[in-house]
Amino acid sequence: MIDALVLEKIADLTFFFGAFIFMIATAFAGLGALRLALKGETVTSLMGVSALTTAAGVSLYIIQIIFEVEFARDTAIALLILGSVGTIIFARLFRMEEGE
Amino acid sequence: MISELFVVIYAIIIIGFVAWNIKKGSFVIEPSKLVIAIIILSIIATIILSRNIDIYVTIRSIAKILAGGIMFAGVLPMISAGIGLFRFGDEYGPNIFYARNHITGVIDTTASLVMIFAGLLIFRLDLVAVGFFFFILIPYVGNALANAYYYSYQRRLKE
Repeated sequence: MIDALVLEKIADLTFFFGAFIFMIATAFAGLGALRLALKGETVTSLMGVSALTTAAGVSLYIIQIIFEVEFARDTAIALLILGSVGTIIFARLFRMEEGE
Repeated sequence: MISELFVVIYAIIIIGFVAWNIKKGSFVIEPSKLVIAIIILSIIATIILSRNIDIYVTIRSIAKILAGGIMFAGVLPMISAGIGLFRFGDEYGPNIFYARNHITGVIDTTASLVMIFAGLLIFRLDLVAVGFFFFILIPYVGNALANAYYYSYQRRLKE
């Protein structure tokens, strides 16, 4: 029969490996976003940087959860929220400059 | 040894299920069947395990296993998005921007959904709050980017 220690060990190991493999996949998507940010024109670069901040923010949040590094959470929140808000503002700016 | 074996089998089952659903046509999962199956399996596992283990430890452990499963489910869309960003180059013409916009939307959506549901299952409300705020912001980001590209492209056409 499974006792409490074994069950907790299985749960911890499953969560650790799930988070770790998800972090690797996020880093791979971040590499694609980095290529987009360095290669394209202005709006494409903005899109790539936005996806890169998402990947970096989620990776940092997972680092905080599985390794308990406390400052990573603050950085992750700043990246996720300011990244998306900044993308909206810059896209609006590009649209006003280019369209009007 | 049992726990490592469990992790490998669990990961293979979940990633295979997600791949099968993507191949079938629905994006990641078909929510109704999967959610019902997961809830029923979790209740059965809780009832069986709580006979000789404390109920609080059982629920917490099963929720953590489910959170790990959600992260395994997010692996395949992230890798597909990365491959898509590498593959769609400039040789496909100017409208490839919109496909790339869709791909970055997939990255954002997967990240925010994993944050919300994993945060709910491991009882981390800060993760849920940030994920939900991010989930609200995603459509505005995509719309603003597509709008900016459209107007800049029209301007270049006029010039």
